[in-house]
Amino acid sequence: MAFTPYDWQQTLRQKADYVEDRLREGSPVVGLSCHEGVLLVTVRLAQQQKIFEIYDRLAFAGLGNQSDLETIRQIAVDFAHAEGFARSPQDVSIQRVVGVALSPAMKRSFSDPLRLPLVVRGLFAQLGDTPEGDLFYMLNYDGEFSLGHRFGVAAGTESAREAMERVLSQFKISKRDAALEKALEAWAVGRREASGTSESDWRAVLAAALKMGTVEAALLERVSQRERRFRFLREDELRPLLPR
Amino acid sequence: MSHGDFAKLLEAYGVPDFVWTVRLRRPEASEDETHAPRGSEVWVHGTTVIAVKFDKGVLNVADRRATSGNAIFSEEAEKILKLDDETLIAIAGSYAAAFEAVRFLQHSFKYYARSQLQEMSLEGKLSEVSRVLSRSLPGALQGIGGFLPIVSAFDKEKNEGRIFFYDVMGARFESREFGAAGSGAERIRGAFEYIVRTKGPFHKMTLEEALHETLLLLEIAASLDTATGGIRQSLPLAKTVTAEGVSDVPEETLRSIQKTLLKE
Repeated sequence: MAFTPYDWQQTLRQKADYVEDRLREGSPVVGLSCHEGVLLVTVRLAQQQKIFEIYDRLAFAGLGNQSDLETIRQIAVDFAHAEGFARSPQDVSIQRVVGVALSPAMKRSFSDPLRLPLVVRGLFAQLGDTPEGDLFYMLNYDGEFSLGHRFGVAAGTESAREAMERVLSQFKISKRDAALEKALEAWAVGRREASGTSESDWRAVLAAALKMGTVEAALLERVSQRERRFRFLREDELRPLLPR
Repeated sequence: MSHGDFAKLLEAYGVPDFVWTVRLRRPEASEDETHAPRGSEVWVHGTTVIAVKFDKGVLNVADRRATSGNAIFSEEAEKILKLDDETLIAIAGSYAAAFEAVRFLQHSFKYYARSQLQEMSLEGKLSEVSRVLSRSLPGALQGIGGFLPIVSAFDKEKNEGRIFFYDVMGARFESREFGAAGSGAERIRGAFEYIVRTKGPFHKMTLEEALHETLLLLEIAASLDTATGGIRQSLPLAKTVTAEGVSDVPEETLRSIQKTLLKE
């Protein structure tokens, strides 16, 4: 079979369409800096976990196929721990994990016409000493990534991402509960945008989603005696902020 | 796939893990020179580390002297290290080997937890320590890299602190009340028994009482062993592991006990 540049371009387009179709309905994930650390928030619509600890100061959240999230997560965890031991934990950075270990490999895989594309859009967060030092990397299924400060978003559609970023950009860095509320608002706005409902109150969108889903929220703690900075927020920490 | 096994991960990434197992061979050396050192040369290490139970968990104390032969290298050495938020390790022996082993174990535990999305069990952690010891055996036999650890952990299922000690090949033993390692420890072994028989078991003591006894033991060890720093020159290191995890005993607490003991 002859394979022309046209075919190649066509294949890429088809692959992208295939992935975008599957991401569209996915539950978005939000990353937001606060005084206490970096928050990662989403709503689980299926039962699977969507937020993961990667390394001492790194966390990952994403939407897409669970198996593809798992692939990305494993590569990131493996790379981070091998590097952290070979050099030092301080040498494991979000830039190296995403920019070096993941992005080129994902690009190669995506542009190989004979391979199934990864259905995944991921958000990596790195905890800094101050909120200004926190970093967010948005990693796309084709290996492209972009850097953000103060907040980061991974959503099913471009318009959902933009709507969520508008909400988050208004947020001034403050305490955890305020950040959590803002993150939930951004999630609901993204959900509304993707599902095309006309509901104007974001709390109602969230309440509707929580009929079948649960909030998943994790914090990378800025100040802690513990070695492991990553922890999931407990039910009792979340409940006061959720719609009844 | 490493399935959470950190040694396999390092192999896949080509990262050398146990650097102290590198065989040192001098081709010009006669057979007589290359014999393995006798037991006492290898296993007796200049230090004293102590682990005892107390009513809330396990207390570890250690002097801060590091020696090389007759020379004092440092009075600031840290011989009690955190393996993770629930586990402590106290080390006697080759500092380089022990430090690398601890670094490996720290990464191994967190790698398992993060990659497998579940915590490694206490049993799993203890076996991993055995594995590290058995892999460091060639270095130990050459007299360059032997070390003996005491592992302290809080067993959440049994709701009590637990102390484990190892031989150099990795055999694991559990101790009911106390564990100690290093050259100084051998000289004060009988004193532990004396305390348990006259003052009652360590696991019934408060932290304050246990600290008092162990710092005194350290001071006795220092008076009998040149390689043990004791409590006079520099403040010893003390850490606890309880249901809440690992924490440092505050310096002020240690200082006040040190003062009382030196006055007595």
